Amino acid sequence: MADVFEITIWCRGVTQDMEGRHLSLVLANGAAKGGKFVQAWDNYADLPDRVQVPLRKYDRISDEEIEMRYLYENDHPQLVLVMDDTIIKGIDILRGMPKGGALVVNTKRSADEILSLIPNKDLLSSLTLVDATGIAGGTGLESVDFMGSEGGVEAVSVAVGLAAPLAGAASKVCDKFTLDNLVASAANKAGVKEGAKTAVVKTL
Amino acid sequence: MSPLYAEKFRIPKHLEIADGAVVPSPVGEQPMMKTGNWRIERPVIDHEKCTTCLNCFIFCPDGCWHLDPKSEKMVWDAIYCKGCRICVEECPADALRLENELNFKGGVARLDKPY
Ligand code: SF4
Ligand code: SF4
Repeated sequence: MADVFEITIWCRGVTQDMEGRHLSLVLANGAAKGGKFVQAWDNYADLPDRVQVPLRKYDRISDEEIEMRYLYENDHPQLVLVMDDTIIKGIDILRGMPKGGALVVNTKRSADEILSLIPNKDLLSSLTLVDATGIAGGTGLESVDFMGSEGGVEAVSVAVGLAAPLAGAASKVCDKFTLDNLVASAANKAGVKEGAKTAVVKTL
Repeated sequence: MSPLYAEKFRIPKHLEIADGAVVPSPVGEQPMMKTGNWRIERPVIDHEKCTTCLNCFIFCPDGCWHLDPKSEKMVWDAIYCKGCRICVEECPADALRLENELNFKGGVARLDKPY
């Protein structure tokens, strides 16, 4: 079987679930565009619906067709990406990594500080630090807000895609929310307005 | 199921089950479910401000605060606190604040897997 390059992404449940999935998809799609064979998937065993739980997403990339189909975890990741630096403290994120692997961390902290949290750092050939939160203009919680309860209250960046025009369309037939307030609540404001404008209501 | 209910609901004899079952109550910590590694920020207590009202003890969903009878101070459990921030919201004396977990050396059980 051909060499399969394994990537594991660590992120936080709920608050970074979507971002983590997007990261695994963008890496897989990027590799596929370059002619590679790819797999990208979420972890089944972690608890993505619990706020802040450490959560994994995976990629596999190969020059030949990937025959590993029924193994749902990457046992030997050569690249590990971490979306929240505090995860490193509580999890052996390098578990199974062959010597010479690479680690990428979203953090504002120094390399020494991050390395001090990793007892098995001798496995690494490189550590890459990026302030992804700062660049993305986020709060560290990315796509959702976190309001100090068991459930995250999603308020930031909701209604980016399909939800926006559908919310707009809903405003035409339901007076529980105004179009203005839906526009104010949605990330894709133009989408909400366009949905409201173009929705066809047929009274029966 | 008691015979009365079995008759009422016409449950065949072979499908009857007992009314309830005795299970050992979890007294103490769950070694298989250490949730400290969920934490991005931890609650830090200011004992000067704390009135030991026990709100944090009552509201914490994971039983991570208790009153130490000797020192008469609130004690926090670093291994199970998941950083949900409820205690900080509920403290009436403003005695709890949040601080990033990486500002502290210890306090999280390091696990191979999420559990
Ligand atoms: S809720 Fe605040 S004041 Fe009350 S016991 Fe807890 S820390 Fe102290
Ligand atoms: S942050 Fe949540 S889990 Fe931690 S002590 Fe406070 S209420 Fe309990």
